[in-house]
Amino acid sequence: MNPLPLDPQNTRRDFLKKLSAAGIAAMMAREPRLLAAAGVKHPKPTADSCILLWMAGGMAAPDTWDPKRYLPFEKGLEVREMLSTFPAIDTAVDNIKITRGLENVAKVMDRATLIRSAVQPDLGAILHSRHQYHWHTGYVPPQTVAAPHIGAWMARVLGPRNPVIPAFINIGQRLEGVGESEELKSFTTAGFFGAEFGPMNLPFPDEAARAVRPPKGMEGSRFENRYRAYRRLIDQNPNRDFLSDYQQESMLRSMDNAQRLLASKERDAFDITLEPKGSAENYGTGRFGRGCMLARRLVESGARFVEVTTEYAPFQYWDTHKDGHETAAKMKQEIDLPIATLIRDLELRNLLDRTLVIVASEFSRDAIMEGKPGSKANDQATFKVERIEEMKHYGLHRHFTGGTSVVMFGGGMKRGFLYGETAPERPLMAIQDPVSIAEMHATIFTAMGISPKTAFEIENRPFYATQDGLGKPVKALFA
Amino acid sequence: MSSSLQRRLLPASILAALLGAQPHSAAQDAPKAAPDFSHDIVPILREHCAACHTGDKKKGGLSMNSRGDLMAGGENGKAIVSGKSAESRFIKAILSTDPDTQMPPPDAKQKRVPAEKIALLKAWIDDGMKWQDGFTFKKPAYEPPLKPRNVALPAAHGTRTNPLDRILDAYLAQHGKPQPQPLGDAAFARRVHLDLIGLLPEPETLAQFAKDTAPDKRAQLVRALLARETDYAEHWLTFWNDLLRNDYSRVGFGPGTGAQITRWLYDALLNNKHYDVMVRELIAPPTPDSAGFSAGLAWRGTVSASQVREVQFAQSISQAFLGINMKCASCHDSFVDRWKLTDAYSLAAIYSNAPLKIARCDKETDVVAQPAWLFPELGQIKSDAPQPERLKQLAALMTHPENGRFSRTVVNRLWHRLMGRGIAHPVDAMQTEPWSADLLDFLAADFFANGCDLKRTLELICTSQAYQSRAVVRQKDDSIGAFVFTGPRAKRMSAEQFLDAVWQLTGSYPVATDAPVLRARPDSTLVKNTQLSAHWIWESGEPTENSETPNAPGPADTKPAAKNLNPAAPKSATTLTGKVAAADASTVPAAKPAAVSPKKERTKLVLRKTFTLADTPVKAFGVLGQDAAGSQFLVNGAAFQLDRQIIRTRGVSVVDFKGALRKGANEIMMVVERPSSKQPVPGVFFEAHLQMKSGTEAIVTDESWEWSPELPDVKGKITGPEVKNVRWLAVTAAPPQPRHAEIRPAMIEALAHISTPPPLPRASLMKCDLLQRALGRPNREQIVSTRPEDLTTLEALDLANGPALAGALASGAARLLARKWESPDAFTHWLYTFAVARPPAQPELEGARALLGPTLNTQGIEDLLWAVCMLPEFQIIR
Repeated sequence: MNPLPLDPQNTRRDFLKKLSAAGIAAMMAREPRLLAAAGVKHPKPTADSCILLWMAGGMAAPDTWDPKRYLPFEKGLEVREMLSTFPAIDTAVDNIKITRGLENVAKVMDRATLIRSAVQPDLGAILHSRHQYHWHTGYVPPQTVAAPHIGAWMARVLGPRNPVIPAFINIGQRLEGVGESEELKSFTTAGFFGAEFGPMNLPFPDEAARAVRPPKGMEGSRFENRYRAYRRLIDQNPNRDFLSDYQQESMLRSMDNAQRLLASKERDAFDITLEPKGSAENYGTGRFGRGCMLARRLVESGARFVEVTTEYAPFQYWDTHKDGHETAAKMKQEIDLPIATLIRDLELRNLLDRTLVIVASEFSRDAIMEGKPGSKANDQATFKVERIEEMKHYGLHRHFTGGTSVVMFGGGMKRGFLYGETAPERPLMAIQDPVSIAEMHATIFTAMGISPKTAFEIENRPFYATQDGLGKPVKALFA
Repeated sequence: MSSSLQRRLLPASILAALLGAQPHSAAQDAPKAAPDFSHDIVPILREHCAACHTGDKKKGGLSMNSRGDLMAGGENGKAIVSGKSAESRFIKAILSTDPDTQMPPPDAKQKRVPAEKIALLKAWIDDGMKWQDGFTFKKPAYEPPLKPRNVALPAAHGTRTNPLDRILDAYLAQHGKPQPQPLGDAAFARRVHLDLIGLLPEPETLAQFAKDTAPDKRAQLVRALLARETDYAEHWLTFWNDLLRNDYSRVGFGPGTGAQITRWLYDALLNNKHYDVMVRELIAPPTPDSAGFSAGLAWRGTVSASQVREVQFAQSISQAFLGINMKCASCHDSFVDRWKLTDAYSLAAIYSNAPLKIARCDKETDVVAQPAWLFPELGQIKSDAPQPERLKQLAALMTHPENGRFSRTVVNRLWHRLMGRGIAHPVDAMQTEPWSADLLDFLAADFFANGCDLKRTLELICTSQAYQSRAVVRQKDDSIGAFVFTGPRAKRMSAEQFLDAVWQLTGSYPVATDAPVLRARPDSTLVKNTQLSAHWIWESGEPTENSETPNAPGPADTKPAAKNLNPAAPKSATTLTGKVAAADASTVPAAKPAAVSPKKERTKLVLRKTFTLADTPVKAFGVLGQDAAGSQFLVNGAAFQLDRQIIRTRGVSVVDFKGALRKGANEIMMVVERPSSKQPVPGVFFEAHLQMKSGTEAIVTDESWEWSPELPDVKGKITGPEVKNVRWLAVTAAPPQPRHAEIRPAMIEALAHISTPPPLPRASLMKCDLLQRALGRPNREQIVSTRPEDLTTLEALDLANGPALAGALASGAARLLARKWESPDAFTHWLYTFAVARPPAQPELEGARALLGPTLNTQGIEDLLWAVCMLPEFQIIR
């Protein structure tokens, strides 16, 4: 492979030099080749780490970050009259209102850039995993090559910040035993970059420590003895021919790296039981909150990209096909305190400036409109009623792709800033400054110091960080 | 909202999205920007300039082959000033009306460049003339031959008479390279076991092989391994699943998508179906069992034009069978090889059931694709033939004897699997010049001459001295670039090979496999001894208004229907106990008749059998044959799922349902679809053989079965307002059909097959779990013809502490400790011999003692197992 192009931080190169000649070897030839000659110049990063807080299942903007006309539950209420099922509340910023249930986040909105005009294609039909694939890779499936997750792009182009902490960590999503799991797996991957840049999956934050601890029943000395004996057996191998074989060297280097992580002090970052009690309480007891706490610990220890999801499981969590209001209330309770705490904690540790935190979802929801105007998508609400008779009818039960909110904190973004706008009446389309997924990715990549035009050659074709290399960052968001 | 209102409120980009006039708008989300070189500029240059200024042509001294050439200009000096279109002679010439200076010239065949394209060219120059890295208009130096070629074999060097050695020895001599060192017997045995059947040789096998003095013992071993049909099939299943993107749980939404070809593939490998036949059945499926490859994968909703299933078909058959990358050309004429958009769409049109409009870069054109294939010199598709005919024509052309590309592609893949690197490499880029055309062409011609017998080619390679040589030690990765063959390469174990080997060492096999197949072959004695006594049954007709009177025929009155059953057939009483009748009686409604609503259209019905078992059975296998489509099989309320607990084979289904049966009362239900009134009356056949602690029992469809139009829910409960009054009605004999006799042997064989204990589990038959995923088993959404060669840190982490591997080692340690070992050294000796096919050296014995301690215990065994399984020598096949 050609030498890496201008890399403002040099972290990748340092990392490789220090630890992972295996990685270099892997990139040398078989691996997709970085297309350097296209004049790609990486921007100066405004963030070193990225935390994506993923609201899986379609978080309704009118019930969270973009309050519209609120009508409380009432028998006989006409569904089409209803835009929001939560009243608006004030935030720390005068011109930004959000909705009841997000009181804690409201207090830190002065650190936020709130985008109310994110838009998605409706893809002709709504399938959560397909939209999530699009959001996470920038490409709509199916694809002729396996598209890498944005976390894998960061791992591939930037590498880890701390060599012993995997660059791409994915918290909170089970990949087995949930609906659409094959589809989830298809984007939770480094794709053609290869497993080296893939996610470390930690579905349960409480069990994260186990992922970096020696196996059960193997106390410290036994684990180290096992490794020492292993290295001795390798040294004593009578077949000396292969000692210099690059494939063998590469394998041993990876084994060493793994052992180093398992023996390092950084592995404590994965153990959330080590969080001081007073601090841990501020993240609540929910799985998402524990995930946020884990993410903060990992970023503190040098993680590059961490995703924390409320988890996607069809018809659960944010995927409200019925009982929308009550479910959204529960979900807000699940996320409100943890997000606010995460922001404050990062700030307290002087990490917020260089950590880009993003709250996003695959699309929004609406009480009656599926997809967006003119969409061919099928209505998937459980109860197709015109008047609300029971609480379970009260909520935003359709998938809406025409206007979605994304919140960003830190990482070089403006503070207390509102960007874009949706229509005051249905359809609640983005009517000002729409931001496409390609632009959203270009913005995130730019903040991280990756040119949206970065391309790798795979199967003789260029594959870009943003579709066709055309994603443009939304400059107005940067401080 | 009216459209005029939208126009006032919405910015243009939203409007465009809203109005969504473009089909395939899925990928239209990307913003517009400066012209894209590949998509906007190349086609203009190609159409208007290429004839005179690319390849070997450079009229006026100007070549446009590369950015550098174009920048260098021609006889008249610089043609382009980057960033300044207005000052560029290139643009001036295009705009010029002067016949002497205008480009293309007035007498040229090429048309003048239209204004909108000139605008693109200007914008491109102003944007700095971005050029795709490495792109050139120059023709590639090498164009692969299509036709097969007979190779004149060079003279043999001494006893090295294998034709491959004759070619390679000449090759080595020509390149001034020595013949690689021969491989020892044990290392050969290990390599050839792993390569051909994916398993480690047992220590006893190695000992015997070492003792064998036959001069052709290696060839004998190769043949013996290839003759292990099941082991061979279950190893190569991995390779073919990767290539044909088949797996046991798959992405896919939409009819027919994600359909497995597992059953077909397994049988093809087990029976060594010849490759040309395989490919014909994949392209033009004779049964639905092999249709999944061509059908491709779909996600719900709109798909980019280059990923509709017809275009996927074009890409898949090109890549898998010809080593052609048709992905570029699915969007626009390829920039890197000879394939054009029309080539991709012509292939797609062969598959398409409707006129298929060509889309260029995801924008539909008015051009309708004409079915055609890539190499007309071999023949062509009749474009007006119906789709099944076209597919057959394509299948014939693909496997045409003169299609050397087809045979070269597959033998190259086999060579790559065995020797670690393709002769043409990468294996999916068969336009690459092979490092030995003689070798590739010989293998291909030999393959075809031997009827496309895959095992024959594997044998030819494995019996060569080239294969039986020591692996090359590589100082660096040199898998791309100039290559000279000096010997075979070491290969990393696949995830499946690794797990199989760990299971062999530890005995920690999974309980069951996931692939929906009946493994191996049925026990022939069982087939001979299996007899069927069930009858084809069907419902006795909807109750009429008349029958819903208090005088409605009760069970006793329905008995006459049973007379319709074959009089020669044994009655149920011969196979079931008297208690069954009692159970029947208990279901008879006491007073009121069933509240069946006859008006409602009923498309399904349920058949059931109740019976009592004196004990839980030791085994319970059933075979099901039916004429109508079946939708559910429930035992005591547990629904059995097709392709999981229910396996289909040759038109019948079999089920292992021991776990669902219990002591006491049991109930089997089958929900089946009713055919339309125009179709003949169907039948259902079920026979189960139960092995009880005391003798055997059979449950067979006969007159003791009942039916109801009320359907059970997923838990096997009859629901609905009529629930309490459900009446079970007597079944009747189904009218005989020729098919019933035809599938009888298949039913017998299937029942015997599922009753035959399967071989030990293999990783290739398991769904892709996290450990296999970590070890490089791919998501098979795309064709994957090579696995990663290097172990990554995250993978190493999984190996160091992952629960799946740790668990297998721990339970294996306990199992191994239970065996009797003379000493810890004896255990180490056994382990090394099994794992790496050699005894441990003295220092290794000492190293192992450090882990094992003076007396064997599970902890020491577990740790040594881990250490040995982590040795590069273990994980890399040398």
